[in-house]
Amino acid sequence: MFERKKQAATSAARPLDERVRTVTDESGMLDIPFLVLTLLLVAIGLIMLFSASYASAYQREGNPAYYFVRQAGFAVFGIILMLVVSRMNYFIWYRTSMLILCAAVLLLALVPIIGTEEKGAKRWIYLGISFQPSEIAKLAVILSFAAMMSLFKDKMDTFKYGVMPYVAILAVIAGLLFLEPHMSATLIIIAIGAMMMFLGGTKGRWFVLGAVLVVGLVAAYLAVKGYASQRITAWLNPEADPSDSGYQIIQSRYAIGSGGLLGLGFGKSRQKYLYLPEEHNDYIFAIVCEELGFVGALGVILLFAMLIIRGYWIAMHARDRFGTLTAAGLTSLLALQVFLNIGVVSNMLPATGISLPLFSYGGTALILQLVEMGIILSISRWGTNQLTWGKKKK
Amino acid sequence: MAQTNRPTGRNRKKKPAYDREKANRQVLRRTLAMMIVCGILLFIPLMATLFRLMILDHDKYETDAIENQTRSTSVSASRGVIYDRNMNALAASTTVENIFLDPLEISQAGEDINLIADGLSKILDVDKGKILEKASDTSRRYEVVAYKQPQETADKVREFINENNLTGIHLEPTAQRYYPYGTLAAQLIGFTNDSNSGAEGLEAYYDNTLEGTAGAVITTKGNYETEMLYSYEKYYEATDGNSMVLTLDSTVQYYLEKNLQAAIEKYDVQNGAFAIMMDVNTGAILGMATEGSYDPNDYLEIYDEKTVEELAEMKADAEALTDTQEKEDAMAAYNAAVVTARLNQWRNRCVSDGYEPGSTFKTITLAAALEEGAVTLEDTFYCGGSEKFAGREQILDCWKKGGHGQENTAEALQNSCNIAFGHIGLKLGGAKLYEYADSFGLLEKTGVDMSGEAVGYFYNKEMLANNETNGTSYLISTAFGQSFKITPIQLVRAIAAVVNGGYVLKPYIVDEILDADGNTVQKNSTTVLRQAISEETSETMCRLLESVVTDGTAGNAALPGYRIGGKTGTSEKLDVLDEYGRQVDDKIVSFVGVAPMDNPQYIVLVALDTPGSGSGYYISGGIMAAPTVRDIFADTLPYLGVQPDYTDVDMSTVNVEMPSLSGKTEQEAKELLAAQSLTYITVGDGETVTGQIPAPGTMLPGNSQVILYMGEEVPTDKVKVPDLRGMTPAQANTALVNSGLYLQSKGSDLSWATVTSQDIAPGTEVDRGTTITVEYTDHTAQD
Repeated sequence: MFERKKQAATSAARPLDERVRTVTDESGMLDIPFLVLTLLLVAIGLIMLFSASYASAYQREGNPAYYFVRQAGFAVFGIILMLVVSRMNYFIWYRTSMLILCAAVLLLALVPIIGTEEKGAKRWIYLGISFQPSEIAKLAVILSFAAMMSLFKDKMDTFKYGVMPYVAILAVIAGLLFLEPHMSATLIIIAIGAMMMFLGGTKGRWFVLGAVLVVGLVAAYLAVKGYASQRITAWLNPEADPSDSGYQIIQSRYAIGSGGLLGLGFGKSRQKYLYLPEEHNDYIFAIVCEELGFVGALGVILLFAMLIIRGYWIAMHARDRFGTLTAAGLTSLLALQVFLNIGVVSNMLPATGISLPLFSYGGTALILQLVEMGIILSISRWGTNQLTWGKKKK
Repeated sequence: MAQTNRPTGRNRKKKPAYDREKANRQVLRRTLAMMIVCGILLFIPLMATLFRLMILDHDKYETDAIENQTRSTSVSASRGVIYDRNMNALAASTTVENIFLDPLEISQAGEDINLIADGLSKILDVDKGKILEKASDTSRRYEVVAYKQPQETADKVREFINENNLTGIHLEPTAQRYYPYGTLAAQLIGFTNDSNSGAEGLEAYYDNTLEGTAGAVITTKGNYETEMLYSYEKYYEATDGNSMVLTLDSTVQYYLEKNLQAAIEKYDVQNGAFAIMMDVNTGAILGMATEGSYDPNDYLEIYDEKTVEELAEMKADAEALTDTQEKEDAMAAYNAAVVTARLNQWRNRCVSDGYEPGSTFKTITLAAALEEGAVTLEDTFYCGGSEKFAGREQILDCWKKGGHGQENTAEALQNSCNIAFGHIGLKLGGAKLYEYADSFGLLEKTGVDMSGEAVGYFYNKEMLANNETNGTSYLISTAFGQSFKITPIQLVRAIAAVVNGGYVLKPYIVDEILDADGNTVQKNSTTVLRQAISEETSETMCRLLESVVTDGTAGNAALPGYRIGGKTGTSEKLDVLDEYGRQVDDKIVSFVGVAPMDNPQYIVLVALDTPGSGSGYYISGGIMAAPTVRDIFADTLPYLGVQPDYTDVDMSTVNVEMPSLSGKTEQEAKELLAAQSLTYITVGDGETVTGQIPAPGTMLPGNSQVILYMGEEVPTDKVKVPDLRGMTPAQANTALVNSGLYLQSKGSDLSWATVTSQDIAPGTEVDRGTTITVEYTDHTAQD
């Protein structure tokens, strides 16, 4: 049914204006493994969300399926959006990247003014729907950096084109996030920016300098901000304060540890019964471990790893540099979030509020993640080693 | 569109294809690097961490998690019953209810705490303020308002709940222990506390046996008590406690306590008294009493009137104080005094307290000396009233100032002569005396199954044996029972061994343990620990002990028809000092009696702590404790099936029943009377008996002379009872015969004894032929 499309070597050399002629240019078949992996993870995520949120949904909303139904709705909408985006010519993101970046910065700047406060930090904005501008900022940084880097491809080894613009943009965004304050998003933005610069070809020495700078800043931040260093204490020794700062991590370890090899069985988590806070949110992976065991958790991790590897594979087979950088950047973002989330849930890393992509509850985040998957899929359609429907072969 | 085209176009023009290829390769290389790092390497530490948590530390976290998630609700087991040996329940349980509030529930349901407090304070008689305080603490879910309310009150609370549609008041069934016999054997049985666990006595010692195993419902619960789907529940059934059948006989116990109370009254005893009755052959305890008792149904109450008065005074004084600090201190002292008073009345002195056994210990010294051959029955001693022993600084005084003169071994015991026993001790030697004390079990706990058993204190072997360092002095004091302490149960066990053939037993109180269905779980029996003396020595000791009653200081213990043996004791309480630190003249008087001496079965120890000097009696074991033991034997031996043997007994010391002789011929009457060892005179000359004095059924002493009326009128006038107190037996007999009354005597009727009490008060008008029972006391029995 599928056939490899032998792309002409000249395709990449076609004039850009030709490439962006239409928004929905039909080029090739989207990458089936990546699509399947994405849908599989969304499906498993939804099912686990139903199980994890059962008790808290019943407790807070009176309906055990409350969170599940809402998230399922967002997932359906998100998947449709993903498919639509995958049909679009991804070069539209090249052209609108600066616009998106500006919008993201504007939104971030608006957060302190019209944002909703939650636990001493303003991170959310309500514009018809509630969302975190920081999520958009991550996408904006990837798209704009990819656009600039593909533009400056031959000057990436210079400071002016290879370092300065990105650092400037990152400084603005990270500064705004830092003021919310939103520590985890700040770190992710800096990390993803650095990853983009690495992918784009910035010279190695700048990373050494950047690393030194980041370590210094983090150290200074921890020294100044009390709650963060309390997090460090809770991370290293949660038993010291089991009912307060150590509570979440202790409860999370109970969930993970009691899972054992094969888990308690789907739906049979005990920690989800209001013991583990955020069990359907940042800590959903702990419930996955408890119910599905080490084997199940490993399965989920493996699916993520395969999705990530496939994402880089798509990047490497992209038609052009913008496609490569965008796909690799988005994949890196996904990898980074998965790594940080599971690291925090298992207390390998100190606690920060990072959700597990495609799993954690949160409509706008899920939709945005699916749109990002859609972008990678659209890049795959233009790739040099893609699949296509036999009939539509050009 | 034009803008985006421009830079790209410029790049394409300026850069040669070679650089682009190189740049492209760099991007691909770096993407590949990222793929390896983000797609593979990053997941390795994650998987390692998860492996550690989920596989290596799985058991630890699983245990912790289960502890985190489970709630256990206990299901109470019903507590076993304590029976006496005739299956009379001495301690049993009934169901009552605790009433508690759930303040959180009250606040969530928006219930009026004022209404609740008002209603409950009326029904339960609890301070309304206290209920309000408890009801407003919404952080709590369990606040007990009243413990152990009877069904009736609980029903009223339920009614109140229903009337007002309340959800925050709860009732929970619990058990209430009750003691049908009240104060009877209270210190022995003990009691349970508010949470139904044994706090004192057998209730405490056998708590595990009696309490049973509480069952439990273990449920997994969500946090904040939410229900869990797939929750697991495990039900452990409660096992009801076992019941116990004691060797104690409540009738015997009643007689012990009755006679102790009578003695306390009669001899003005200041510090209470205690008594033990034990089977000498089995070690089974038949009764154990400590007077100065309490009612375990209300164990917090103080029962000693004198103490109650003192405490009330102390409290009033404290409350009168104005200075806050002083008042606080005084109240604290008062509260401490209340606690001490309670502990005192709960104390089973028979096993928990050592005391100086005094002369009763001479039994042990002599048994050891005879067994060792250190003395023989032929040995003689001289008592001049006092003697200076070599190696003892103090001159030893005998209790009899004039001295006992020349006396043989048996007489030394009968006389309870301290000087003779000093010599016996020296002949035996400290090391041997110590060994026998050890062998008779005076240096160890008896192992009786009762709570709080203590050991007294005794010299160690080196101290008694070493003549250089006061050993002689210690040895002499020890030989006659002073300067050391043993517990009453230790003494009883040791004397039992002296008379039972030498066998040291482990005393026991629980005969049998029954499960909830009445099946025997455990049956206790006699445990012989060792033989301290030979059977021959034991037999000799029996004869000697009997002679103490027949010819010695224990004459007041004689009971007609029974062969009683025993040894008196009067000991100084050496460790009691007055407020100036001087030794006071407080004494413990005691008698340890055994019956019947031809085949010893029962031993009774009675000790009276600090008899008052104003009772009119000389303070000694022979005068106070011996008659008490006699009365106990008189009550208990017939009950226990030991029948009196009147062979060789002066029938005038025994009561017989007057037969009905109306209508009988003189010959017939004579035969009937002879059968009862009665004699008669006749009044009138009729053929048959028409009247008699005393009336049929009257109890009168044997050998008495009755009057038969043969046709003559029976006189119906009353006679006045004369005052017999202070009279010798001969005088008393004459006085009563002259009044047309009969005399029955209790106690020693030695010619020098005098009447110390009579059962019908002087001056009372009684029918002719009434029997007056008098008690003689041998006042020479001053030990």
